[in-house]
Amino acid sequence: MQNRQAYLAAAALLVGLALLGLWGERFLLYLAMRVMILAIFALGFDLLFGRTGLLSFGHGAFYAGGAYGTALCYLHLSKDPLLCLLAGLLLATALALIVGFFCVRHTEIYFAMLTLAFGMMIFSLVWNLREITGGDDGLVGISRQAINLGLAKLPLRKEGQFYFLVLSCFGLVLYAVHRIRSSPFGLILAGIRENHLRAEFAGANIKNYRLAAFVISGFLAGLAGGLGVLLESNAAPFAAHWSHSSEPVLVSLIGGLNTLAGPLVGSFVFIVLKEVVMRVTPYWMLWFGVVLLVILLGFRGGVVGTLAQALGRGAKEARS
Amino acid sequence: MAKKGMSRRQFMKAGLLTAAAAALGPGVLKPTGLWAAETKIKGPVKVGYQTVMSGTLAGYGEFHKMGAQMAVEEINAAGGIGGVKLEMELRDSTLKAPDAIQNARYFVDSWGADFLAGVDSSGQALALAPVMAELDRVLMVTHAATEKLTEEHVFKNGVRQVFRMVTPTYQDGYAAAIVAKDLPIKTWATISPKYEYGFTCWEMFKSTLAALRPDVTFTAESWAPFGTTDFRSHINTIMDAKPEGLYSVEWAGELITMVKQGQQAGLFKQVKEVMLPVGAAMDVLEGLGQELPDNIWVSGRYYFLYPTNQANNDWVGRFHKRWQHYPAYVSEAAYSTMYAFKKAVEAAGSKDTKAVIGALEGMSLDTPAGTRVFRKEDHQAMYDVPWGLTKSDPKYPFKIMGKQVVVPALACFARPPFDGPASKPPFKS
Repeated sequence: MQNRQAYLAAAALLVGLALLGLWGERFLLYLAMRVMILAIFALGFDLLFGRTGLLSFGHGAFYAGGAYGTALCYLHLSKDPLLCLLAGLLLATALALIVGFFCVRHTEIYFAMLTLAFGMMIFSLVWNLREITGGDDGLVGISRQAINLGLAKLPLRKEGQFYFLVLSCFGLVLYAVHRIRSSPFGLILAGIRENHLRAEFAGANIKNYRLAAFVISGFLAGLAGGLGVLLESNAAPFAAHWSHSSEPVLVSLIGGLNTLAGPLVGSFVFIVLKEVVMRVTPYWMLWFGVVLLVILLGFRGGVVGTLAQALGRGAKEARS
Repeated sequence: MAKKGMSRRQFMKAGLLTAAAAALGPGVLKPTGLWAAETKIKGPVKVGYQTVMSGTLAGYGEFHKMGAQMAVEEINAAGGIGGVKLEMELRDSTLKAPDAIQNARYFVDSWGADFLAGVDSSGQALALAPVMAELDRVLMVTHAATEKLTEEHVFKNGVRQVFRMVTPTYQDGYAAAIVAKDLPIKTWATISPKYEYGFTCWEMFKSTLAALRPDVTFTAESWAPFGTTDFRSHINTIMDAKPEGLYSVEWAGELITMVKQGQQAGLFKQVKEVMLPVGAAMDVLEGLGQELPDNIWVSGRYYFLYPTNQANNDWVGRFHKRWQHYPAYVSEAAYSTMYAFKKAVEAAGSKDTKAVIGALEGMSLDTPAGTRVFRKEDHQAMYDVPWGLTKSDPKYPFKIMGKQVVVPALACFARPPFDGPASKPPFKS
């Protein structure tokens, strides 16, 4: 019963987004794409944070891996957007595999600090290898070429066209993450979070499971980074900085941990809130921080958690 | 520079039109005021302005704002642009490229900007150029100095929407070298920002000075990343190399910090000549006050006591009265940008991007900094800015330029087609 409701809600969301893509204004599409890209980033992140219980402060590095992989492929190898995205995904996944190999041996604060250290190492590489990464200036001048389908070409140049690539990726990721969460693999991840000793005694090699969750979330961060480059036409070094790594943490906390809807709601609130606050004051960072604080303190368990609780209570009261 | 009232010809035109309208009857022609002849311009002219309003460089943003706001007030008090109001909205650019793009998209697609202006960092300007082509709005850059913006994006890639009001890196690199060739020293070193702007300026300085003075050598480089607050290791690197000259394109708060820490370390006693291409920026002059050493070379993209004519003096007076500050170069650029939009829109008779680009190309504009001409090929404003030696003056609470050397824009700006040594100074003629 509940499952069916969730499927209906997801279908309604995707159809709504598709309709927006057909009729929305350019700026609305731009905002929607930024929300979806952040949601992809956060969905992957929540698989590690909410599901497996590992808080990473270095996921900006994998986002940057995806971004720079995509941009470098565009500038040096091929201008095909799908090929560039693939290059970004490969780089991000490889990075996640290497960093994850060392990090998943530890948990809690040690894990968080290790990921932070690796993330900042990758940031300083991006920052200093000026010949390759453009240093502080990043890589610029990436435009969206058409996807070559052999017989026909699928143009992406306009917002309205690129939107559907982002939407397809978003839909696929949403489905994939849902499948992962409800698979035996996903259940073991939750088991590791709840009690890793018990999971280990039950016969699960928890290091491998943690690494798998880490790599999947790194892969999705890379996808978000690659799509971000195609959207904004540049790759910037601060994507790898810890301040960017904190974005999915905030999004997860705003939306609510370990739910499918949490990262979506969190991303929406994060982007739209920033957009609104910036309209009111040029000193938006301060007020944005204040509002975030209120949400984090006021909505224990995130927006989704609080709403679910309120609905649950309402339903219980109605029953009694 | 502000057009106060109307010229006689405009008065006659308006009078004749009103008379004609009266003769034809109110049903046929409806002049709605003095500017009835130009009612093609619809609604307010909206300018989206972005500059850095946060962090250590926020002082620049304040100066941008003063100039831009003053121009908006003056233009609107004098009847607006072609009879319609000029509106401006200001946003914090944070100096990061993704934020600059988000601002531009917000301005054009959500707020409905007709023109964009501002932009401080070179990285932002380069990232914005292709987006401007897509958004199809004119962007007047009032600070970012990278020559790649105008040479590559405008001239080679044909992004016709981008213009630049201020002197580019040519003034900081090429002109500095032309000044440095007459200095009696043979070794130079640099502490400069670790990004596009720093690398480019040093490269330009070196290549031109080496061509003019084969006996000069460049002995040390120290690159300070954006956000550096402790310059001591950089200063030590330079002092260990014992150069006779120091060249630095550090700017704003970071330049202030570097000079203060350099004073403590005895840097200015050790080196004979110092060149600070953006040392004459008002936030630096004010920020350092008497701590800025005497007899060092400074320049900017406009210096408030040059040119010494009535128009500039009046403007500086009005500015000081309005804000209790002397104008920084970004204030002048922001101010002149609004008048450039005014002149171009009125000449084109519309806000349409294509028409305004046509009007701006080759347009000559009288500004506080002198007469600017927007070079048609690369959309770069051509005008002269002096280099000068600092000295104290009892009239000002900060150091001003004593001896001045003007390297004309024609002698120090790279020339189209921006390819090969013939395009770069030193020029034969």
